[in-house]
Amino acid sequence: MASEVKLPRLGQGMESGTIVRWLKTEGETVAKGEPLYEIDTDKVTQEVEAEATGVLLKIVVADGEVDVGTTVGVIGAQDEDVSELLAASRGGNGSAPAAAPVPDARALEAEEPSNRLLQGKPSDAETAAPRSSLTPPVAAESRVKASPLARRMARESGVDLAGLTGTGPEGRIVAEDVEDAATRGAARVALESPAAPPAGEVEIVELTSTRRTIARRLTEAWQAPVFQLSVTADASELVATRERLVELVREGETRPTVNDLLTRVVASALARHRPVNAHFVDGKIVRFPGASVGIAVAAPSGLVVPVIRDADRKTVQQIAGARADLVSRARGGKLKLTDLEGGTFTISNLGMYGMEQFVAVLNPPQVAILAVGSIQDRPTARDGELVVAPAMTMTLSCDHRAIDGSEGAEFLRTVKAFVETPALAL
Amino acid sequence: MATVEEKAGTGKKRVSNDALRGFFREMLLIRRFEEKVEERFRAGELPGFLHVAIGQEAVATGVCSALTREDVFASTHRAHGHAIAKGTPVDKIMAELYGKMEGCSGGYGGSMHLYDLEVGNLGANAVVAGGLPAIVGAALAFQMRDEKRVAVAFFGDGATNTGTFHESLNLAQLWKVPAIFVLENNGWAESTPAEQQLPLPVDQLGKRAAAFGMKLIEADGQDVEAVYLAALAARDHALAGKGPVLLHVRTFRLTGHFVGDPQVYRDREALKQERETKDPIRLLGARLELTDEDLAAIDAEVTAKVEASVEFAKAGTDPQPEDALKYVYA
Amino acid sequence: MPELTYREAVRDALAHALRKDDSVFLMGEDIAEMGGSMAVTQGLLEEFGPKRIRNTPISEMAIVGSGIGAAIQGMRPVVEIMYEDFLTLSMEQLVNQAAKHRTMSGGQVKVPLTIRTQGGAGWSPGAQHAQQLEAWFVHVPGLKVVFPSTPEDVRGLLWSSIYDDNPVVFFEHRTLYPLKGEVPTELEPIPLGKARIHREGEDVTVVATGRLVHEALQAAEAAESEGISVEVVDPRTLLPLDEETIIGSVCKTTRCVTAHEAVVRGGFGAELAAIIQQGAFDWLDAPIERVGARFGPLPFAPAMEQWVVPQAADVLEAIRRTVARS
Repeated sequence: MASEVKLPRLGQGMESGTIVRWLKTEGETVAKGEPLYEIDTDKVTQEVEAEATGVLLKIVVADGEVDVGTTVGVIGAQDEDVSELLAASRGGNGSAPAAAPVPDARALEAEEPSNRLLQGKPSDAETAAPRSSLTPPVAAESRVKASPLARRMARESGVDLAGLTGTGPEGRIVAEDVEDAATRGAARVALESPAAPPAGEVEIVELTSTRRTIARRLTEAWQAPVFQLSVTADASELVATRERLVELVREGETRPTVNDLLTRVVASALARHRPVNAHFVDGKIVRFPGASVGIAVAAPSGLVVPVIRDADRKTVQQIAGARADLVSRARGGKLKLTDLEGGTFTISNLGMYGMEQFVAVLNPPQVAILAVGSIQDRPTARDGELVVAPAMTMTLSCDHRAIDGSEGAEFLRTVKAFVETPALAL
Repeated sequence: MATVEEKAGTGKKRVSNDALRGFFREMLLIRRFEEKVEERFRAGELPGFLHVAIGQEAVATGVCSALTREDVFASTHRAHGHAIAKGTPVDKIMAELYGKMEGCSGGYGGSMHLYDLEVGNLGANAVVAGGLPAIVGAALAFQMRDEKRVAVAFFGDGATNTGTFHESLNLAQLWKVPAIFVLENNGWAESTPAEQQLPLPVDQLGKRAAAFGMKLIEADGQDVEAVYLAALAARDHALAGKGPVLLHVRTFRLTGHFVGDPQVYRDREALKQERETKDPIRLLGARLELTDEDLAAIDAEVTAKVEASVEFAKAGTDPQPEDALKYVYA
Repeated sequence: MPELTYREAVRDALAHALRKDDSVFLMGEDIAEMGGSMAVTQGLLEEFGPKRIRNTPISEMAIVGSGIGAAIQGMRPVVEIMYEDFLTLSMEQLVNQAAKHRTMSGGQVKVPLTIRTQGGAGWSPGAQHAQQLEAWFVHVPGLKVVFPSTPEDVRGLLWSSIYDDNPVVFFEHRTLYPLKGEVPTELEPIPLGKARIHREGEDVTVVATGRLVHEALQAAEAAESEGISVEVVDPRTLLPLDEETIIGSVCKTTRCVTAHEAVVRGGFGAELAAIIQQGAFDWLDAPIERVGARFGPLPFAPAMEQWVVPQAADVLEAIRRTVARS
């Protein structure tokens, strides 16, 4: 017997929630207690667990804001016809985007058998169901099954275990699955993304609270007079230095990334170019003695910029540790307000998406932001010879109210020098 | 060591009066010490499980006076008297009972595990007969190294029912090691009287030695002189290479099994009578014809020592909790 | 390098210690003229005489207990309990006395006593002559527990046990006595508390003790042919335990099988699993598998015995389970 998935009230005062995404696709088997979809309330983003075992027959609301009690999906037996149930339940959904028929008595009837089930009495539907349609007991698992190692790797690489299919015993996600997901992440995302809405149907996405904040702040930033400067640096030494650092990593420590090294050298450059390490507030420029570098992270709820505090006084290893912690919490929606405060400068890196170069929008009240592209082997002239070397293009966006072109250029020249010879940053 | 004299005209040995006065002083010290232990336990000052040997002082003093400092012994859960008689200062024992670092076991042992290697105390043992096999081993070491030392095990009548007792005496006799097994027969296995736990009449428990072909020496455990002379003879026998000795002394426990034991199992009248007729200190005092002044002076002296031991213990250092594991391994 | 059997290696360590040091002597049942029920002490009576190679009555409590007493007096006795099943008869002395004297005395007393014993199935002795009880003793603070699996290890570790100032329960495995292996020309002491990595591997760590070390090595060979790379670690000393090496190995391979001949329930593998999950949790890619005997007294009939005690095939099965893919 099919049962409706209704948006639960997860806390006092909660009237509605925004469905961020489904963790199961239509036709997939779900077990009671297994995370089914994620919702964003005004406080947190969290997973909602399935209240029934069966097949996710229908996702009624793929995403967007809905009221508590709204039917957002249906779980039932394979091939079960749920059109009636849906027609009935739609009546109860005040905010469902589809047409809203008059409430129907059948909606109540439809609920009764499942209540009986809860009380342990067999319903007609259950006794009548053929054995083959019963959900295999193996699905009765309350959480994503993953080995501790797989969990740690997922944490560190930002892979979402819920999206993976485990190849270990009984479907356990093991290290190899995470590795696989991390290396082929981009391809996977494309494959597993929900299909585009059918032609002709307009999709309206309600803003999450995080999204609303992003929208407000970046619109604000857009009003500042901004100019951009670009430079391409030879990244050979940066990559080599990072490799040497990785060799020194002790067990249990985070392996530093090229980005961590970049954060460190940029912080050093900021310490030498204070006009860039500043805020523009209420018509005044505030320059800071220490460089606290924000790093743009694509979290499930949207862009967040947690801050690595005093990056100019941290070792690369310390930065790596702080970064790993911030990123994993950002992805888990566990950042605290204090993690996001106090940045004096921001680095945005879209290199991992293969972007060669791009322009970042200011992160006010900061007066500059560095957009970093991918490191790619490029032909370059070195000592009159054409050689192929890893190179990286960086674009600095500056708030002209606070910074002049020459100040920005001097800063960027230092960054380039530090990238090409990291030892200079010491 | 006390002076042994020839008893005029009889050919029998006796102990000089001076020596007996020394025994008296030590036995009274043990008595006052244990009374103080009972008192402080009841006052809630002493943790743990305490057993006193009031009534058995003549055994401790008699046997230990026959030993040298190099001789070793292992005792039982009722060990205060043995420890004092072998030469551990009461300060160190009281401090141990208070769980202080100045205690003879550094606060790790407590009343049932009093050790003092310096004076040959290999440890009081809280498992009945638990110390016996090690005494065989210690005696074996002395024998193998040709050392003129004996190893002594104190144990009660209850211990003679354990396998450990039989294995130990058997092996000791087999190898003729210089060991003395002091059977302090007080007729009680905790609360169980002799007739319920001994297959032999209580006074004939020494017969057990015959099963091993072991030399048996017996003495009245309430007569310190007799115990002392018997222990001397036992020591001579053992050191002469003739093998170990079972030294059987009949004695009387004039208190309960443990401090706080209501002794519901005991006939009050019989206990009262034992206290009047079997108290070894009273018996020795009468024999020495001590005057009231003599008695008062000795009592004042030993009582002051005991009081001082309480002061010493209370002023002692509490161990650090994290030192608990300091001696798990050498 | 010379080759010795496991039996000869034990004897060699004993003879070396007896020659070097008058404080060393042996006690045990049938160890003198007969040379021990496993022929380990053969020839020692002739060289060292009856004062130091002492036959004892059948008195396990007195054997261990007198060893304790002699040890406290500065000797370094090595006592033999003929079968580890008979350790049960000496438990009081081992657990209440040997292990505790040092703490109870506030550090005054040392008990440098070695208790040699042997056991193990594979020859149909039935239920009272082949138990593997090593895990019991790992539960007793104050004891050390050693369980070597090769001639070299048994020689070096016995030497270190004799010269350790603590009571050491030294387990030998009956079926390993004829096992031959190379040993250093000069006796080299092996420190207690150091594991041996017998074989390096990438995919699974098998932590094995006693006879199962050899079964594990066989299983590792078989696994290799299936493309599974197995690391075999023998802790050698169960107490103290070389946790660092074991955890390090599991962090590297991410999977672990524990293997011993003793029954699985409450076996040493349980302790290993606990330590590994604590130290290597975030590195574990599969549940820790435990291999051991089935939970019953050892039956007599060879077919049943064989079925109850673990073999290389059981280790291989467990290895496969840790790397299994559905």
